[in-house]
Amino acid sequence: MKKFSLVEFSVGHPRLVVAIAVLITLGFLTQFPKIRTDTNPKNMLPPTSDVRVWNDEVEKTFGLYEDMIVVGIANEAGILNEGTLGKVVHITDEALRIKGVAARDVNSFSTITNVTAEAGVLRIAPLMAEPPAGPDLENLRKNLFENPLFVNRIISADGKTTAVYIPLEKGANGKEIADRLRDIVNKEGGPEKYYITGDPVARDTFGSEMFKLMGIFSPISGMVMFAAACIMFRSFLFPVFIMMPAMMIIIWSMGLLIGMGFPIHIMSSMSPVFLMAIATDSIHIFNEFYFRCREKKDKRAAIIETMKAVGTPLIYTDITTAAGFASLLFANIIPVKVFGFGIAFGTLALLLSSFTLVPALLTLIDIEKLKSAYEKEDIRVSKTSFFLQRLGGLGTGRPKTVAVIGLILCIVAIIGITKITVNNNMVEWFKKDSDVRTADSVINRALGGTSLGYVVAISDEDGYMKTPEAMRYIEGLQRHLEGLPAVGKTSSVVDYVKRINRVLHDDDPKYDTVPDSKDEIGQYLFLFSMSAKSSDLDNVVDYPFGKANIWVQLKSWDVAAMRSVIEAANEYKASHPEKFELKPAGTAYFNLVWNDDVLWDMLKGFIVALIAVFIILAFNFRSVKWAVVGYVPLLFTILLIYGAVGYMGKDFDMPISVLSCLSLGMAVDFAIHFISRLRQRLTETGYGNPHETKPLIEALLWTAARPGKGIMRNAVLFASAFSVMLFAPLTPYITVGAFIVSMMILSAILTMIYLPAMIVLFRRRLFGGG
Amino acid sequence: MLRYLVLLLAILMPLKSLAITPEEVMKNSQAAFLYPGRDFKARVVMRLISKSGSVRTRELTMLRKNYGETGGDQKYFMYFFQPADVKDMTFMVYKYPGRDDDRWLFIPALNMVRRIAAQDSRSSFVGSDFTYEDVSGRDLADDSHEIVGEEKLGGADCFVVKSTPKAGDTDYSHKLSWMDKKTFLPLKEEYFDKRGDLYKVFTAEEIKDVNGFPTIVKRTMKNLQSGHSTETAFTKVDYNMGIEDSLFTERYLKQPPRKWIE
Repeated sequence: MKKFSLVEFSVGHPRLVVAIAVLITLGFLTQFPKIRTDTNPKNMLPPTSDVRVWNDEVEKTFGLYEDMIVVGIANEAGILNEGTLGKVVHITDEALRIKGVAARDVNSFSTITNVTAEAGVLRIAPLMAEPPAGPDLENLRKNLFENPLFVNRIISADGKTTAVYIPLEKGANGKEIADRLRDIVNKEGGPEKYYITGDPVARDTFGSEMFKLMGIFSPISGMVMFAAACIMFRSFLFPVFIMMPAMMIIIWSMGLLIGMGFPIHIMSSMSPVFLMAIATDSIHIFNEFYFRCREKKDKRAAIIETMKAVGTPLIYTDITTAAGFASLLFANIIPVKVFGFGIAFGTLALLLSSFTLVPALLTLIDIEKLKSAYEKEDIRVSKTSFFLQRLGGLGTGRPKTVAVIGLILCIVAIIGITKITVNNNMVEWFKKDSDVRTADSVINRALGGTSLGYVVAISDEDGYMKTPEAMRYIEGLQRHLEGLPAVGKTSSVVDYVKRINRVLHDDDPKYDTVPDSKDEIGQYLFLFSMSAKSSDLDNVVDYPFGKANIWVQLKSWDVAAMRSVIEAANEYKASHPEKFELKPAGTAYFNLVWNDDVLWDMLKGFIVALIAVFIILAFNFRSVKWAVVGYVPLLFTILLIYGAVGYMGKDFDMPISVLSCLSLGMAVDFAIHFISRLRQRLTETGYGNPHETKPLIEALLWTAARPGKGIMRNAVLFASAFSVMLFAPLTPYITVGAFIVSMMILSAILTMIYLPAMIVLFRRRLFGGG
Repeated sequence: MLRYLVLLLAILMPLKSLAITPEEVMKNSQAAFLYPGRDFKARVVMRLISKSGSVRTRELTMLRKNYGETGGDQKYFMYFFQPADVKDMTFMVYKYPGRDDDRWLFIPALNMVRRIAAQDSRSSFVGSDFTYEDVSGRDLADDSHEIVGEEKLGGADCFVVKSTPKAGDTDYSHKLSWMDKKTFLPLKEEYFDKRGDLYKVFTAEEIKDVNGFPTIVKRTMKNLQSGHSTETAFTKVDYNMGIEDSLFTERYLKQPPRKWIE
């Protein structure tokens, strides 16, 4: 077969093979300086996707900003005092000077448009220029709390929190601006507490943490793996040989992605750790090589025989892993696709290196140096092997009990799975005590909410939004939406019209209503636009007054919050037939769409992977029955993990759904090794009669002890690499770490227990027919 | 050698002695741009163009009467034709140098005249990119002026004047104006924000001679940061018609005389 000629060639020309590998690696390494990152969740979907095109259109129509930083300022004693207000004015002033800030539309006490009537004079001007004192302060207090445009926006209902809203120009550097703002508020100091939040802050914090993760956590997890391997193989040399191909394929795969011009996204930033873990597959080679070295003293023969024994399962485990990741190529989400592609490529590259570089490296080892290490590699004396035999013995000894326990566990797990809630909350990607989360929760508690969605009312008649009917309709919709627990505040053009109506009528609360004629409304709006910032109106109505934009501030980043808004809007539309359409938009809506897209993608990918893995298994074993048996530990592992997810109440979010696909390809590896080696052993020992259990059990126990040790080593190394991620600063990485660690350990243990049990139970079916 | 030196001096001297002061340039410009004639009338069409290209139209008749010399008091009367729902709305401004304007607005739907506070002369004029100040002028003493160069702009020799507000209450840090040496009309103005970036540009596109007064009949203000711009066209321009003082009263705000607004 071809693969052995490849091995023989490598064993024959080890130096040449290593040199070629190093050269290719250097080639990929040259791409690294081109590295770019992209932490904008918007880029999860292509710019041509419906939701992005629509959102861009809405942004353009209403002159909205994509990004906004919010500086929350809280004072336990209340913010309405000269000191705090002075700081607000000062901070606003400083913010206006920062490059990239859309200065004309910064909103705070000193810039927000206020409509009042003082001594019969109508005044449309910023709320305050200087912090007022004495009676003016009382006047300001009255102005603030009477005006629904201000409460929950620039002042909390309890008067203890205010905010400065700082929109950013397109392409501005959010991180630099946020850093600058931090300097500014730090200089202010005082009893006030400051909170800086908003999309760009979260994104950039995420980006820098991501780099930290790649730059610090990947090497640490590499070192942990290395240390674990050193202990396992009682040698330094072998672990180096395990790590070397791993490092190489990381460089290949990352170099390829960078070279192809893909930015590093949250998904692909995890690639190094994944590839490192997948590379542990080569453990099976070293594991077998150790045993063979002891049995055969000739190194060359030991290498070739090792490759003969583990070659086939290696090919299939790598192919199933690659298939699991390649299933992500069916995703609509580009970064997910890129990630799947990168890992699939890396896995196949690893496969190639297993047949070339690894044998070449083994050839170069001075075997005498390993003697003391591999001498202990004997299943009769190894404690690990003894333990593994006991584990396998559970399955072979009491197959029925084991099966029944398994069934019960499955049922319990399925009940857990039904409890899973589908949700995604990007702010919760940060840890609870992180600055981003704290700032977000403080501002959400005090003000209208940091997550922003829009409901756009569209009429095909220009000027229709100026009619009393349209105004009342929108007003009703706002009240309806505000009834939702997730909605903190809504605002629209109606709020301005009502405000002006009241102010023009000597501040009589009776006139805090929508006027009765279109002319009146039109004139109020014109009057308002004569002095207000142009963005005040532009943000809520389009130029021909055919569309209105209703701002919906949500108190939670849960996608469920925006879903409830859309449902409520549809409900309102159904019960109040009007001449216009209602369409959701904004960041909250975008998050909802791509979240649903990811889930759908993953479900699709999961099914594809499920089928692909089964076909590969059946092909590998040349038997559907064996494929079914091999499937059992895999399905069982996945059921148990998702059952646990359900019981823990953890949301089924983006990271978890992505993991579901690729876990298939990895969790099945152990079963492939186990079954392949078992069947090799049975052929060697000449097992044929299914009524004979003793030789079968012996073979099973041998498999558990010897290739099983490889499986265990693989699982432990894999898990140790990922356990580092449990200490990551971002929750998606923690989730991934916990998921992979438990998946590897579980699937290894389940393979060791359930495969023997199943094989013993169904031996007649498996061996009977032939 | 001496000959060259004399020549050099001869070249330098006139520049020194004949040089106009920046204040004089600004004063001349104020007279030509904001104070020509005893009174003035124009039909003004403003096209407010959003970044995406949507257009809102404002159409009004603007009347102005001077009281005193250049830089002195002025009264403005505006009658709106468009947008349609504000037809009959009128707006009146008494402008005084050195203190806040008085403004009145007639709201036809309520049949009510309202005084409007005018604290912020830098706020937008009827939603356009022009500010009240751009329409009716700014006190020259509020800024310090400096001639920073002389340039040719579209065939016209211009002074380039840099005006820096003395107080920090403006939305811009400084302004560059290209003043035509002949007419003293501003052909271009560039506004720089507090970070020193150019963000608003005024351009005079068409200048016509009306009754001996060079008048900018087409002008544009473009906000480079928001992408918004406003094109303004003056038609039916006239000077020295003899507008009565009585026009500038509340009574005529409610019922503007046809002969002036048409």
